[in-house]
Amino acid sequence: MFRPQAMSKIELAVPERDVVPVTEALADSGLFHPALAGRLGGERASRQAEDWHERAVAFAALERRILAVMEALGVDEGPPPAETPHLVEPETAQMDIERLEREARAPVQELEEGQRRLTQLQRYLSQLKPIAGLEVDLDTLRSLRYTFALPGTMPIANLERFQTSLELIPSALVTLRREDHLATVVLFGTQRDADILSRAARSAYLNPLELPETYRGTPAEAITALESGIERTRQYVAECRSSIDYLRQAHVQRLRHLLWRVRASRTLVETIARYDRLRYTYLAAGWVPASQVPTLKQKIEQVSDKVLLEVSMPRRQEDGHIPVALGNPPIVRAFQGLVTNYGYPRYGEMDPTPVLALTFSLVFGIMFGDVGHGLVLALLGLALVSRKVRALRGLSGMGAVVIACGITAMIFGFLYGSVFGFEEVLKPLWIRPIEDVMDILLTTVAIGIGLLSLGMVCNIVNAALARRWGHLVFDHNGLAGLIFYWSLIGLAASAFMGDLPISPIPLAALAAVSGLAVTFAELLEHLVEGRRPLVEGGLGTYLMQALFELFETIIGLLSNTLSYVRMGAFAVAHGALSMVVFIMAESVSPAHGVGYWIVLMLGNLLVIGFEGLIVGIQTLRLEYYEFFSKFFSGGGVRYRPLTLIPRGEE
Amino acid sequence: MSMRDVSAYSLVHATVRALYSTMLAPETWNTLVQAQDFDALLNVLSKTVYSPYLQIERQELTPRRAVYQIRWHLADVCEKLIRLTPEPGHQLLLQLWRTYEVDNLKATLRGIETGASWDQVRHLLYPMTRYIALTTADIEKMVRSGDMERAIELTRHTPYYETLVHALERYRAERNLFPLEVALDMNYRRGVWQSVNQLTDTDHEQALRVVGTVLDVNNLLWAIRYRVYHHLSEQEVINYTLPFGYQVRDRDIRAIAAGADIAQVVRGVYPDVEVSPLISGAEEGESGLAALELSLQRHVVKMCHAAFIGYPFHVGIPAAYLLLNEHEIRDLTVLIEAKSSHLLMEMFASMLEIQPVGAGLPTTPPQTDQR
Repeated sequence: MFRPQAMSKIELAVPERDVVPVTEALADSGLFHPALAGRLGGERASRQAEDWHERAVAFAALERRILAVMEALGVDEGPPPAETPHLVEPETAQMDIERLEREARAPVQELEEGQRRLTQLQRYLSQLKPIAGLEVDLDTLRSLRYTFALPGTMPIANLERFQTSLELIPSALVTLRREDHLATVVLFGTQRDADILSRAARSAYLNPLELPETYRGTPAEAITALESGIERTRQYVAECRSSIDYLRQAHVQRLRHLLWRVRASRTLVETIARYDRLRYTYLAAGWVPASQVPTLKQKIEQVSDKVLLEVSMPRRQEDGHIPVALGNPPIVRAFQGLVTNYGYPRYGEMDPTPVLALTFSLVFGIMFGDVGHGLVLALLGLALVSRKVRALRGLSGMGAVVIACGITAMIFGFLYGSVFGFEEVLKPLWIRPIEDVMDILLTTVAIGIGLLSLGMVCNIVNAALARRWGHLVFDHNGLAGLIFYWSLIGLAASAFMGDLPISPIPLAALAAVSGLAVTFAELLEHLVEGRRPLVEGGLGTYLMQALFELFETIIGLLSNTLSYVRMGAFAVAHGALSMVVFIMAESVSPAHGVGYWIVLMLGNLLVIGFEGLIVGIQTLRLEYYEFFSKFFSGGGVRYRPLTLIPRGEE
Repeated sequence: MSMRDVSAYSLVHATVRALYSTMLAPETWNTLVQAQDFDALLNVLSKTVYSPYLQIERQELTPRRAVYQIRWHLADVCEKLIRLTPEPGHQLLLQLWRTYEVDNLKATLRGIETGASWDQVRHLLYPMTRYIALTTADIEKMVRSGDMERAIELTRHTPYYETLVHALERYRAERNLFPLEVALDMNYRRGVWQSVNQLTDTDHEQALRVVGTVLDVNNLLWAIRYRVYHHLSEQEVINYTLPFGYQVRDRDIRAIAAGADIAQVVRGVYPDVEVSPLISGAEEGESGLAALELSLQRHVVKMCHAAFIGYPFHVGIPAAYLLLNEHEIRDLTVLIEAKSSHLLMEMFASMLEIQPVGAGLPTTPPQTDQR
């Protein structure tokens, strides 16, 4: 539970003739995460490899062609088939596709051509309509001698800027019409400024009216000619569409089947192309959860008895490449999302999900301790998990988190003696935060110290798992850091509290020794782990850097510790907010009438919603910022088993 | 502090704080800058948040591919933050996300113009899988069409279509990508400004500070570039720039367009930003402009970091983080290109935007043409 699922490395030697069924079985199992190629030796640049690559390229091209036909005919991909299709030969698929393309090509081209023509004619029409009333022959406008006139269309968004740019040039910009995002305009000026005006118009994206010279006479006459042309083109486009509809109905199933088959074949051959090769054998490697190895073996044996399968434990140097499958029990799985939102753990690292599940709930409970409020949260969590409320279905994954937070809030509610803000109903099992402010603040600092120490212990565990002994001992979050932290706490405690069972002298000695170890952590780590050079850059720079790092470590430890004071502060604030609700309720209805209870109910809802949210954020912040930064960096590779067709996301 | 803000930005804020802490530390930057070569650089990156993205076969990890791979990090965090941020901040982040889509579209159009193959284009793109109008398959189809008009027709379902179709007329006449690219940029920047203005209260104020600064810097730099590099007329400079901004006013842009002293205008807007007096000239102006560009980009970075100080429940936080991440990746791109070309440290260290690095490293670019 505390580590990602153990993975086994699977190496397969597959006879050439079985490579396709074996790869299909690997994909069908949904267990095999392929490793990067080139790790098993063998001939990578062989003739077979080129064949598979060529087939992959061919399938990719075929897939594009099918999609093009589907798009042209208006057919969507449809859902993936229930059963994974088998490999198809590219030549076979190509014959099918060519036939479909032949049938679709002519009507599609005719439709495109018709639509283009229609758009063009409609554009001419929209440019001409604003000047429909002009009793001027279009040929006259085409041949002005002293006046510069530029009719055209431009984006409405550019109009104002264009006018600004023309402020210093004698000109007039007349807007004739605004439609959608375009305006039909005419720019007037003198021929002397024609060049400046043309450049300005071009930069404002004024596209000049370019009515073909075949349209003559007045604008009204040209419009009549255009309208009849548009009508004819519309009829033509409608005819093209009906023949395309017929084709779509005839081929929809065939196209979808072909698409998924080609797509699965492409993934299959791409996977095989990445295998290493001997003369007549393919070498495949990948990762499988160790517990699932027998299942995978069985699947392979069903399709070939000639496969040599070697299972090995991952080697340390492969840690960065080993995929991570988090295997948490359902009760903590909901917290996995909060971890992966930060990053995936690396294979060698511990999975922080169970620790997060405990600490997140604990920190939340401390800040939000109230039996009633916790109960409401727990019920809300149950509603989320049950998925019965349609509007909340998207949040169902967070249901268990909310339940856990609700339960810890209830536990702390009993400890604080608070039910929906009523402080007299329950006797506190521990303290009332609002009355014992210093106690709760000091306690939460102590809990913070515990959590930070836990973070450092996790870092030590991670270092031990990775066998990084130097890091384990000397890192500022390692053993030296932990001793340094605790000796500083001891010194601070003896300074403020006086009589401690331990004298401050050994504590100071411990702080000095561990502080030195932390200061020169890099050098000592390199020395222990046999890494060279011991110091990167010059010695002077290193010393300065080391001292600054020590300073940063001390500041970091102090600020991280004090950050946890907020737990106590929020516990106090929770009580204070409830008190405010009671004061407001009293002022509305001193006789405790209906108004009193309404205000109380609304106030409690506000506290649950508003403060619950803030406490949630603060908890997340403490986890991500103070706690995770001690031991968890993320950067792991997610486990993604091979599949030939998509089967839904994790 | 309003309840709406807190409830809207609680999870986003916690997530951004966590992400912010994973940004490359100054020591890592120093190690990266001082890495011996591209392999050493990859080795350092393999210990950072970019590690999972670089786990592909070494022989496939060319400098171009490495840049493409680290951009996946940006895609992941962008998509995550867009998903977590509620309306209306969601719309602003979507708009910011679209900047990469616009970049991809421009890279695609350039690919088509130069007759590049899909394999040549694909790793120049920003990887984007969600919240997009243009899928990788669409872009692939566009590149494979090999024809500008057909490619633009393939964007019919996207918000870029109208803009491109209108600008296509000019492309047909001029056979130059400039009008298409400028039209896309202007349309995009107008969209961002609109999204900023749809926000209210703290969201609006913070988005203005962060995103408004980015728009300002772009507007100002483009006005200067149009004048210094492209020698455009006053009217053209005005038409190719926008009249709004956070600190940059329309009068500043119009002054630049009309031929005013650029250094003086920039100093008037940003008294704290270092401006080379050489910027107004022609030849010298180009290196002066490179230095100015760097200073302004560093100003943007400063504004983004500043967003993390003070009241935290606003859209400025995710927006600033995304912009910082973009700058980090831009700097990494500079480093990857520099290390793979075996450039001396002095030649590239000063070009890093996110921070001037290391003791004794230059913080202003060498006085050569940086275009």
